[in-house]
Amino acid sequence: MLKKGLMILAIVLMAMVGLAVTLTVIGPWAGPEQEAFMPVLKAFEEETGIEVEYKVYRAEDLANLLPAQFAARRAPGDVIFMWASFIREYGKKGHIMDVSSVIDPDWYLAGALDPVQVGNRLYGAAYTAKVKPGFWYRKSLFKKYGLKPPKTWDEFLALLRTLRAVGFKTPIASGDGVGWPLSDVTEHFLITFGSPGLQKDLIEKKISWQSNTVRYAMEKLVSLLKEGYFSEPTEWTTILQQWWRGDYALYFMGSWITGMVDDPSDLGVFSLPGAKGMVFGADYAFIPKYTKHPEEAKKLLAFLVSEKGQSLQVAQGGHIATNKYVKLSAYPPVDAEVAKLMEGVELLPDLDDSIGGAFQMAFWDQLKLLWVRPERLDTVLKVLDEKLK
Amino acid sequence: MRRAKLSHYAFFILPALLLLAAFVVYPSLRTIYLSFVDEEGKFTLAGYKEVFTSRDTFDPEGFKRGFPMGTLIHNLLWIGIHLPLSVFLGLLLAVLLKGLPGVSFIKSVIFLGMVMPMIVGGVMIRFMFDGNVGVVNMFLKFLGLHTQTWTAYPETALLSLIFGSVWLWTGFSMVLYSAGLETIPKEFYEAAAIDGASRFRMFFNITIPLLKPITVVVVTMTLLWELKVFDIVYVATMGGPGGASNVLALQMYSYAFREFNFNKSAVVAVFITVSTLAASIPMMRLSTRE
Repeated sequence: MLKKGLMILAIVLMAMVGLAVTLTVIGPWAGPEQEAFMPVLKAFEEETGIEVEYKVYRAEDLANLLPAQFAARRAPGDVIFMWASFIREYGKKGHIMDVSSVIDPDWYLAGALDPVQVGNRLYGAAYTAKVKPGFWYRKSLFKKYGLKPPKTWDEFLALLRTLRAVGFKTPIASGDGVGWPLSDVTEHFLITFGSPGLQKDLIEKKISWQSNTVRYAMEKLVSLLKEGYFSEPTEWTTILQQWWRGDYALYFMGSWITGMVDDPSDLGVFSLPGAKGMVFGADYAFIPKYTKHPEEAKKLLAFLVSEKGQSLQVAQGGHIATNKYVKLSAYPPVDAEVAKLMEGVELLPDLDDSIGGAFQMAFWDQLKLLWVRPERLDTVLKVLDEKLK
Repeated sequence: MRRAKLSHYAFFILPALLLLAAFVVYPSLRTIYLSFVDEEGKFTLAGYKEVFTSRDTFDPEGFKRGFPMGTLIHNLLWIGIHLPLSVFLGLLLAVLLKGLPGVSFIKSVIFLGMVMPMIVGGVMIRFMFDGNVGVVNMFLKFLGLHTQTWTAYPETALLSLIFGSVWLWTGFSMVLYSAGLETIPKEFYEAAAIDGASRFRMFFNITIPLLKPITVVVVTMTLLWELKVFDIVYVATMGGPGGASNVLALQMYSYAFREFNFNKSAVVAVFITVSTLAASIPMMRLSTRE
């Protein structure tokens, strides 16, 4: 009798194990960033009893992997973080689930869902975001030389001259990698000396890169490059260390920088004077059509982007919520300061992330060229127009 | 009896043939097919036209302005500079190191570049030529010369990669030439010495001709690698700045995984395949004739 009972128990347990759903989330965060993401997944597990496994894949690697997987009607994960342009592209091709039934656009800051929306269909959801507010500096360094963040373009130029005079031969550090840090600086110039509308027009391909408006904004940037105020493009984490130890005075970077320095309270940031917009780069997640657990995946996606999910994430630092119900008190102090910077300016999607594809790669690559050969601006703009077609 | 033998052979060969058919023949044929069709599967030569008239492949303005000149020219430059340098240096090192004490250790150190995955090699090249931490700049600084991040400038990016890869690839030719040198009978040199031949003459009249089969192998393998070079460029410069160090294989990758245009990518793949065949078949024939 006891034997029979044990056997039944074993069968039931095995059936339970067999039936238990484990969702796979694929995201780009590794190391400390992954550690900051895990509490969100844990909270979901506790709330629903659904297990979640996290795998790290960079978006660049997913771009290689997913097309072949989709062609074979398979998917490596149930919820996947990826470029918005990719989600839109493959959503239109029918490989991505429409999640408009589980995601309420009213939860979000205006425009946050635009990059993954095609007509009435919503192919992804915006998780937390990073903003690219401007030039970061060490408060202690500015204090040492009696410097203040500039209020006008002339003051900005004066600041650069002063920095050079006190020993910073190239005052601004230029981060590189595949090229995106340079594109962030460039977009900031386009928004400041063009307008927030220019950024949107460029994304929607309504304006040529060789137009006078773009050229005017780019020439402002080129004037600084020609003066040698920007350093050579250097791997962005390496130059971050150099900037922090005082080899450079200013560094244009996104808000995630607050989680990458030893003493975030020493960080100060200013936008280019006159900037009326700020790039707001959300991390987007989608559910592939080939998931084996569509209902559970929807639950997870809805949780991640909810007020609770995003509050848990922003509390870890370095993230800004896209969910408008997340309270300012949920942020660590330095991130709350960044969140405040967003008040009164138009939040804009990242230009190259929104366009994606061949243009994105060309944009990054052409900017690397512009940084070292600013006199080639005409060629750069011509190539960008060609790649946009 | 003969039929039984044949079925025996077939039993052992079939698994390999099946694998080859599935993973080599079918993908190759499919790639050729893809290069001749559009996204809807209709026959077209538009992909070929687009690729070969593209500035990415051949940019005549580059001859006046400087890099980029297009992937085709970049690959040819790679062959023109990397091939003679790595073959010559390999031969030189093999001859100089022959018979020296502790030579195995020295050769192992030189061969390390070849043992290392090329991706790692690419990262190392990137750092070698870096303006702040690069060993090349440390050396130049020591000599009082100009320093910069050499991979960041269009004029020097491709050349940096080529010279960096000479360092990685020389070990390969050196090891093959070292093995080849061991096969040359000592008597040939002894006889030549008795006849009063100088070392220089012995090198050109004995060593070089007898190493010809090795040279064919080294040149063929190096040429094939240069035609399909990808990994080093991908990690060191991603083909930049402004396409100044782009190569055919990276162009193929970009079409496939950035533009998601597999038809254009297939065109470049077919072109690389035809080029490698055109380069390797005559070399193989030459080696067979020997």
